[in-house]
Amino acid sequence: MRTVYIIGVGMTKFGRFPESNVIELGRTAALNALRDAGINKKDIQVAYAGHARTGQLYNRECGVGQSILWELGISGIPISSVGNFCSSGSTALREAWMAVGTGMYDVAFAIGVEKLTGRAGKGRPLTSDGVELLTVMGFSPPIYFGNVATRHMADYGTTPEQFAMVAVKNRKNAGPNPRCQYKDPITVEEVLNSPVIVEPLTLLNCCPTTDGSAAVILCSKEVVSRYTSKPIEIAASALRSGPYKKCKDITTFGSDRLSASDAYETAGIGPEDIDFAEVHDCFTIAEIIHYEDFGFCKKGEGGRFVEEGMADMGGKLPVSPSGGLMSRGHPIGATGLAQVAEAVWQLRGVAENQVEGAKVAFTHCAGGFQDTIELGDVQSSAVTILKRGW
Amino acid sequence: MTTDNNALRVDTIGNLIDPKLKPFIKLPESPSEKPHLIGSKCSSCGEYFFPKRAICPNCLKDEKPEDILLDNKGKLYTYCIVKAAPLGFDAPYAIGYVDIPEGLRIFSPLTECDKGKIKIGMDLELIVDKIREDEAGQAVYGYKFKPVSL
Ligand SMILES: [Zn+2]
Repeated sequence: MRTVYIIGVGMTKFGRFPESNVIELGRTAALNALRDAGINKKDIQVAYAGHARTGQLYNRECGVGQSILWELGISGIPISSVGNFCSSGSTALREAWMAVGTGMYDVAFAIGVEKLTGRAGKGRPLTSDGVELLTVMGFSPPIYFGNVATRHMADYGTTPEQFAMVAVKNRKNAGPNPRCQYKDPITVEEVLNSPVIVEPLTLLNCCPTTDGSAAVILCSKEVVSRYTSKPIEIAASALRSGPYKKCKDITTFGSDRLSASDAYETAGIGPEDIDFAEVHDCFTIAEIIHYEDFGFCKKGEGGRFVEEGMADMGGKLPVSPSGGLMSRGHPIGATGLAQVAEAVWQLRGVAENQVEGAKVAFTHCAGGFQDTIELGDVQSSAVTILKRGW
Repeated sequence: MTTDNNALRVDTIGNLIDPKLKPFIKLPESPSEKPHLIGSKCSSCGEYFFPKRAICPNCLKDEKPEDILLDNKGKLYTYCIVKAAPLGFDAPYAIGYVDIPEGLRIFSPLTECDKGKIKIGMDLELIVDKIREDEAGQAVYGYKFKPVSL
């Protein structure tokens, strides 16, 4: 693999946009990325589009990338869809990274998009793909994470207040970020007193329903100097699926541990070398477990890690300085690339909620469930490590 | 609501069970029997599965693992109390994971598990009961676990 750089990123605002469709959202983010890179559209050689619900919601299983790029006058090149649950966007990035890294192409586009406000069942939890049996039994992602939370509390003494502190921190981080769906500060009491979804998780412990898009342009070391003197290097892009061990400890995610260890190994760094992380905080308890699975703290100490301010801006390892999924929202296919876009702005030193002197970033997206009633892990986990390329 | 399995004929309950769950539930055939979940066991490596598998994923030798009745008792591994329920489910209710002696973990609604009474590690037994209502308001049956009556 040759070194691959990011030369342009773009996003839409994340929020509820009932008048926009997925193509408009994708087009906006893609155009922002093209302008950010200062690249001629003719230079794009291959593209991957990450989306997970466009088939179910809008009868657009395939061709989303083609339609978005057609509107921008990019056609004829290889374009394909990448569906991989909540990691769809990160997986599109990984495909683009491999396409360039292997030497097949010099410039690649990764686009992620989703419009979730069009879904039925307003006010009810989003269901998961491909889990018919579990759904019959009443499964939903909040129920899974509620079960995880109960066990983490029992095993390690983690408290609902500590869960709430994740939401409070991420909302505070979102304050200056104009792309976040929710920016107003909240308190621990407000989180605890918001409506219960599945005890022990209240509404403000869950990420919201959101529309949005993000896009990233990558290129090879050979051509990078044509576009920028300040590229961001992709030091690692790892992807794993769930290992599904029977009766495993539910308070750790096997796929996340595997993808993180792959990424650390490829990048030749460890958690101590990371300046900040954007993790998949779909639920507050998930972020607490990510601290542990990624080696930011020891197993069982995730609750204390947030309580003691280690994940705060200025803490030992700031987590989700952008506001995270909790505040930005989680348009499934867009999230992984939004994390990368936010991380790129941090590494360039131009983020609204800037981590001072950030040089190395860790981003993580994960999701999906296997339809075994005896379920134990998420279906996909992607970790990307980025660093300044100058 | 807990159903007295003897009060309803087996075929009546059988008709109420969610079609997707039917292959996994063995109803009692006499008042002295209890319902069981149907799992499978590989004849080559001895591994148990629930839900049933079409082929043993461990050794790939047994392409038709034999159906077996799983132990109807287990211990609660973890749980949560649902307040915002999926369509057709009647909140609040407890739902969690039950570890059974075959080394399997079963995702299951829990009944008679009021808050304060429910506890990780508690002994549970399998019942067949109403789990939700369909679009027409018809009761749909499935399996649940309830505390072992002392
Ligand atoms: Zn076998």
